[in-house]
Amino acid sequence: MNAPALLGESVPVSIGSIEAELKRRRDAVQSDAAEPLQVVRMATLVVFTDSLDRAVAIDAELPAITAVHPARVVLLVGEAGAKDVAMIGSIKVRPLHQSGSRVTISEQVTLVAGGPVALRLPSVVRGLVIGDLPVNLWWATNTPPPMGGQLEAELAELAQQVVYDSLGWPDPARGFLATATWLDQLDTPLPGGRWRTGSDLSWRRLKYWRRLLAQTLHPGSAPGCAASLTEIRVEHGPHAVGQAWMLACWLCLQLGWHIQGGKTQGGTELTWKCQLPNGGTGWVRVVRQDQGPPEICRVRLACEVGGAPGAMVLAVEGPQRLAQTVEGSDVQPRTLTVPPLTLAEVIGRQLNDRDRDRLFRETMARARVMGQSVLDH
Amino acid sequence: MTDAAKPIDVTGIGGGMGPQPQPCQLVIFGVAGDLSWRKLLPAVYNLNVDSNLPSHFSVVGFGLPSSGESPADPDDYIRKRARDGIEKFSRRHLDEGHFADFARALFFVPGSFNDAGAYQALKARLEALDQQFGVPASRVYYLAVPPGVVPDCVSHLKAAGMIAQPDEVNAFTRVIVEKPIGHDLASARTVMDDVAVAFHENQTYRIDHYLGKETVQNLMVLRFANSIFEPLWNASHIDHVQITVAEEEGLAQYGPDGQMLATRAGYYEKIGALRDMVQNHILQILCMVCMEPPWSLGPDIVRDAKAGVLRCLHRPTPAEVDKYVVRGQYIEGNVHGQRVPGYRKEVREAFELMKKPLPPESVHSTTETYVAMKLFVDNWRWAGVPFYLRTGKRLPKRVSEVAIQFKNVPNVLFNAHPDVPLEPTLLALRVQPEEGISMRLASKLPGARLKIYPVKMEFTYGGAFGAQSTPEAYERLLLDVMAGDATLFMRRDAVELAWEFCMPILDRWAALRVRDLPEYQCGTWGPVEADRIIHADGRHWRTP
Repeated sequence: MNAPALLGESVPVSIGSIEAELKRRRDAVQSDAAEPLQVVRMATLVVFTDSLDRAVAIDAELPAITAVHPARVVLLVGEAGAKDVAMIGSIKVRPLHQSGSRVTISEQVTLVAGGPVALRLPSVVRGLVIGDLPVNLWWATNTPPPMGGQLEAELAELAQQVVYDSLGWPDPARGFLATATWLDQLDTPLPGGRWRTGSDLSWRRLKYWRRLLAQTLHPGSAPGCAASLTEIRVEHGPHAVGQAWMLACWLCLQLGWHIQGGKTQGGTELTWKCQLPNGGTGWVRVVRQDQGPPEICRVRLACEVGGAPGAMVLAVEGPQRLAQTVEGSDVQPRTLTVPPLTLAEVIGRQLNDRDRDRLFRETMARARVMGQSVLDH
Repeated sequence: MTDAAKPIDVTGIGGGMGPQPQPCQLVIFGVAGDLSWRKLLPAVYNLNVDSNLPSHFSVVGFGLPSSGESPADPDDYIRKRARDGIEKFSRRHLDEGHFADFARALFFVPGSFNDAGAYQALKARLEALDQQFGVPASRVYYLAVPPGVVPDCVSHLKAAGMIAQPDEVNAFTRVIVEKPIGHDLASARTVMDDVAVAFHENQTYRIDHYLGKETVQNLMVLRFANSIFEPLWNASHIDHVQITVAEEEGLAQYGPDGQMLATRAGYYEKIGALRDMVQNHILQILCMVCMEPPWSLGPDIVRDAKAGVLRCLHRPTPAEVDKYVVRGQYIEGNVHGQRVPGYRKEVREAFELMKKPLPPESVHSTTETYVAMKLFVDNWRWAGVPFYLRTGKRLPKRVSEVAIQFKNVPNVLFNAHPDVPLEPTLLALRVQPEEGISMRLASKLPGARLKIYPVKMEFTYGGAFGAQSTPEAYERLLLDVMAGDATLFMRRDAVELAWEFCMPILDRWAALRVRDLPEYQCGTWGPVEADRIIHADGRHWRTP
């Protein structure tokens, strides 16, 4: 077997000899290399998913993710509904960069377990963590982390950053309610100076929407617009309700709107009644479209424009562009370029970003209030 | 290789060619045992392959196979045993050509350790082999036997006239004694006195294989051959030091069907983690970390420097033992995804396997499988610097590391964010597996925004010098004995000083007479009580 053939090939291993087998693979690659092999890792990235199909999709993304954030990847597949079968492991040594005769690689371990055996996955992960570097947990399921039970708790215990994605949550109200509380617990400093943080990939995807909204409502560019705002309508494609919810929460926070009550309507719309800073009443609506990609597609802000009732509309103009127009006006749109937000790009950037985002926390606190109001209805 | 790149011999022996072993016969007592099979015979084979053995050399095994019966063809028996050990455990694959050369000089004299007649047979065989291999009657006796057997072996060797005078240079006799050396200070003195009846201190090599590890040896090179570390190697710059010796295995080895195959319960039940690991390996590593620069590399100069550290160890009071020393015992848990039993259950099953009655004290065993402690080295260099030590069985991974954590930068500029403090600079020395050194630094992430991320510079012996180039510890140590270099072996005073440090802990534990120890699940990093020792100081155990 020659060294290049070893790179990228997935090899089954017994669970107890993963490190030894990884070393054997590295040594085999090294034996053909002119210079010492470099194993690149900024962190240990533990990825948990509860479906084999999703694991396959993530596995395909991992080369791109590790290009942005080199890490030892431990991909865990725990199928809760599956039978109680023995854990299966495999390893992969991937080429990362090659410059002249220097070869750099990254390592991946994949573990598949079903039923109660999945609860034993953390015991394997503990032995695979790279010392003295951050451990990131990517909770890649449609279950919010605090609803992930003992498995999530044990994996999160090992991690410095827990990354999840509210995109696709089946019940956002309960999800945001639980997650906001969970984030508070995660932020509580741990004994001995350790700290942890949590991040939602959907929040990262909102970055450009937030930027355009902030510029749209800026008093310098639209005087009186923010103060006269009475209705926010966020339209989204299927599965993106969490993202739309969070954008609405952020806007309420920025505008100083206080939630008075919320309800669902017809299974496609969420509505909140709010008290405005001027004492008036405002409305926030999150509306699902029947078709389209799983993302926000349009935001309408009902407000005074040029001293008369009107609306600002922000919408996706193309694959890499957001545009803001004044409803009913033929004024040229203001546009913002959005770089490609591939999963690899979003997750890779998030893994590099360990800072606690106070705005995200405050938005989540608001999301909790909005979630509670819907559940109370 | 250019002259500048040639390895420098710092031993002073061999004129720049590394330690030069002298012609001798290596006599392994207990050659049929586990240590010989796994370590010693593969080590000698590798030394042979690397051309490190003297030309005039042979290996003679002594003892009885585990069956207790003399094999029909003793030499054939030990050669087969050696072949098996090399195939399973050698760092180099077995090469038939090399093995034939190795086996040619490998012999076995069957006999019981307390049978005077067997020693006469051994003596006669050695003398015959002296003639055959041109060895000038020089012997290295490796006592790879249980501690209780050592006095028998030594007294019989003396009675048989098989020990040369200590000042004899051309036909020397040296003895290698394995740990444990006693189970407390008094018994250690007795063991050493027993050996001293026949062997002078300069003939006695008390082996601690950790000291033969490249990283441990490299500690001195790192500290005293690089200009950047030694100025920082003190209480002014070092926040604390952590030493971790973690084992994955428990008491027993299991087959694929979950049946217990082998066990160390009989040994371990009487020993525990403090005696098994702290008293020897960990304190020896601590000495290498903390010692003052020796004024030369002479064996006794270096050993003086190490003993100096042991003399400065703060002896804990009973109250300090309660506060700063935690012991634990593993309970059922998951290791590598497998459910494994707790310690007490393993002990019970082990005695059943050995077909021995369970000793009363083992019914509710309080033998510690885990120890963590905070200690201080009371000297000018290390005043106030805590050393956190931990060792245990059934931990998440097998790893031995020393981590030197430097002090934090001030809480201004890049470290001004109290929520997300910078990770301090950390130097980690990995003793096993994959020996090497790493250093964690703070680095700016590429990009317009200022984001700081910890990065790790890593050096591994395998990566830098080739996977098979790093000799096993036993190889180096066997060579040193043949060369008469005792630098890496424990002198009597060091053994006694290490026990003197441990005795207040053992005495306190004996006085407490606890019925249960703090528990930790197999596959975790130890009991929560151990976390409290370090958390109380605002620090945490690192993940090795």
